[in-house]
Amino acid sequence: MTASPGTGQHPSMDDPRIMLDGQIGQFETVPPYPPRTERESEFYSLRDGEMFLNMGPQHPATHGVLRVVLKINGEQVVDLDPVLGYLHRGVEKLCENSDYHHIISQVDPLEYVSSLFTEWAPVMAFEQLLDVQVPRRAEYIRVLTGELLRISSHILYQGWIALDLGGLTPILYSFIERDEIVEMLAAITGQRMLFNYFRIGGVNGDLNHEFMSRLGDWMSRAAKQHEANIGLLNENEIFVRRMRDIGRLDRTTALRMATSGPNLRSAGVPYDVRRAHPYSVYPELDFDIPVRGTNGGGDSLDRYLLRMDEVRESLKIIDQCLHNMPDGPVMARLPRLLRPRPGRAWAAVEAPRGLYGTYVISDGTDQPFRMKIHDPSFVNMQLVGLLMKGNLIADTMAVMASLDPVMGGIDK
Amino acid sequence: MTALNRSWGNLTAFGKVILPLLLVVLVVLPVLAVLFLMFVGPWLMDVLNSNLGIVRFVVAIGGVLLFSIPAAFIIIYMELKVIAYMNLRVGPNRVGPGGAAHSLVAGLKVLTKEDFTPSSADVVVFTWAPVLVFLTCVMTFLVIPFGPGLVGQDMNIGVLYLFAVGGMTVVGLLLAGWSSFNKYSLLGGLRSAAQVVSYEIPLTLSVVGLILLAHTMSLNSIAEQQSGWFTNWFVFRQPLGALIFFIAATAEANRTPFDLTEADSEIVAGFATEYSGMRFGFLFFAEYVNVFIVSALITTFFFGAWNAPIDINAIFAMVGIDPITVSLDPGSLGIGLVLLVLSVPVVMTLVFAAPFYLARRSSPAWQSLVLGFLLFNLVAIGGLFMLTYISWDWVAGLVWFMAKAFAFVYVFVWMRGTFPRVRIDHLMGFAWKWLLPAALLNLFITAAAIVVVKSL
Repeated sequence: MTASPGTGQHPSMDDPRIMLDGQIGQFETVPPYPPRTERESEFYSLRDGEMFLNMGPQHPATHGVLRVVLKINGEQVVDLDPVLGYLHRGVEKLCENSDYHHIISQVDPLEYVSSLFTEWAPVMAFEQLLDVQVPRRAEYIRVLTGELLRISSHILYQGWIALDLGGLTPILYSFIERDEIVEMLAAITGQRMLFNYFRIGGVNGDLNHEFMSRLGDWMSRAAKQHEANIGLLNENEIFVRRMRDIGRLDRTTALRMATSGPNLRSAGVPYDVRRAHPYSVYPELDFDIPVRGTNGGGDSLDRYLLRMDEVRESLKIIDQCLHNMPDGPVMARLPRLLRPRPGRAWAAVEAPRGLYGTYVISDGTDQPFRMKIHDPSFVNMQLVGLLMKGNLIADTMAVMASLDPVMGGIDK
Repeated sequence: MTALNRSWGNLTAFGKVILPLLLVVLVVLPVLAVLFLMFVGPWLMDVLNSNLGIVRFVVAIGGVLLFSIPAAFIIIYMELKVIAYMNLRVGPNRVGPGGAAHSLVAGLKVLTKEDFTPSSADVVVFTWAPVLVFLTCVMTFLVIPFGPGLVGQDMNIGVLYLFAVGGMTVVGLLLAGWSSFNKYSLLGGLRSAAQVVSYEIPLTLSVVGLILLAHTMSLNSIAEQQSGWFTNWFVFRQPLGALIFFIAATAEANRTPFDLTEADSEIVAGFATEYSGMRFGFLFFAEYVNVFIVSALITTFFFGAWNAPIDINAIFAMVGIDPITVSLDPGSLGIGLVLLVLSVPVVMTLVFAAPFYLARRSSPAWQSLVLGFLLFNLVAIGGLFMLTYISWDWVAGLVWFMAKAFAFVYVFVWMRGTFPRVRIDHLMGFAWKWLLPAALLNLFITAAAIVVVKSL
């Protein structure tokens, strides 16, 4: 099945003969180059009864433009190969050619479901470089908006997972809640999705009346609505049977694969950046870190339930933020053009999908010399190959949806 | 004459040709028809009368084909709208009142789309597979009794025919999946083969107990045996059988939660992936016709077919009314009938208009008259419906049958809005480990009960 090297040049697309061929439009799953690694040559050779199933990049259930080549034997997935890069935009290079203020808008569309966290980590790293003290009110606003967005992301995750398992209704209920949240964030940021709200040394604007009234309305029914929405799925026998014992991730594998976030906590490791490396005002807030799968690792159902627990904790944090929020400025005084001292900084936040980190090297100019973005979706995506082997085709949806990847962050 | 000349001059060339032709057709055709009826009619009637079975069959096929498309349209619209309300959406609301013509327009769209064939597809099989699927679906209608006497063919092996023809649908799906030259289609076709063949067995076995009780395989006589009060329905004598039949029939119709063959998040659209245009339309219609058939079968077998839940004759007898004497003989009225027919609308319009006129004197009188006339029409239509309901039992039967069948269609739509999809191994495990033993148990209990009751 593999193309051998030196078989002559491929016919050009302008060659008229290719139109007579009849083979045009039929894409080979096998790459058009000879295998580069041992793993590739092993994967792209078929045994008896096996076939390739090319899923994506335009497949309804791959959460963006992910292409997964499945090697299947009947309904069973023998092996699989995720092919990334269909959404690569070179954001890190763009950041290295923008000045520090512009970077915030460059990183925004990376993880488009929870874009405030993609701003938060670089902003924190730049503040370390510049030795800026962020006003306490700004920190509280960051935590408040961040936790709102975490809820929105987890609620959307619930709808997605139901849609991938064939349930039509929960996604629309999820979108109602998400719409409330993005509308209230739009009241202070002016955007519904790519907020561009955090600034080096604070946030772009103070909370306003519309935000507070929307938030108050929503908070009065959010917890009850959340319980009602998860009641749709958690009590459903078909859903539970399709999620339980599928894609079990044990503690050592999770740690070895550098997993983070809810996927790690559902494998029994109580690691949360908000507790392990406290930042912002999280040390002052009282919340629990939900952990599941402490005996023998977590399955897809654990990963789902843990995120639903986290929504409750986030609601607690929002409540405390509203009670403890101090008065004062929301922006530190900073010059227009930032030239940090030469040096390097690392900052990490707990995004809805795990540890979201930024590593910056400054050479003293107004642009970073190097900026590396650590995206949790990319790291968690490594697990797909491990967790899906031996399952059925239908389970690949359950596993992939339960890992909650966002392709914008994976391809960068 | 000049006016006629002028209008003739205004006609286009096409009009000058078509108008005389139209006149000829309008004059000549009725004459021909009368002549035909005079000379050939009696002979034709003799031929038709002597071959009544064949005539009935042809008429039934025509009726079934004409009926199945609107039924599918109604179910598609119902599904769009009901699921929309379950999802807190509005659903289709553009074409027709409340979007009622939406599925009709969608059907037109499907008709006008390009009928695409993949270059590597097996063209003959690819073309005829949807026709096979649709045909086998529609053929099932032949034995379903929609009302007393409203049955295409009252076969004495009706149940057998039903399962034989219904089982053929899977051949069409498999062919569609195989001939498309697409891996998703292939998986969908194989899934449907595995699923339908597995669920065929509990489906058939769940009805065997009922056949033992009913002593017949004719659907018409199964329906007749359930007349009277609703306690005569077979669901009360075969509750387990009814449950198994419902579940297995859901899987047979490829409906959620058993819609693995077209699982959109796994295998794109299953066997229908490569289809477009009216070929896709056939597959699509077949699915919804199937939903109606399954609902109609559940109604026929277990929920009293066309019988009303209340035995209205028994109530009349209890109260002491004979409905036949109540109904009026119009011939006895003579010339009075004309006066009655002329006066009733006028008098009743005035009667209905009076309250509106008295309530709102400020508004003009004609408004209340219009309202009164409309109200009279509503009441008259209602009254006529009641009269037909009482006098012709097939009207009553059709109304009850459709009401029950669409109640089950609603249940299927409701399930689609609520359930996720089951996995293939759960699906097969459920069929072989639970449904089949349960169906056998049901059959055993029924047979044993019959033996015991007879020996007593």
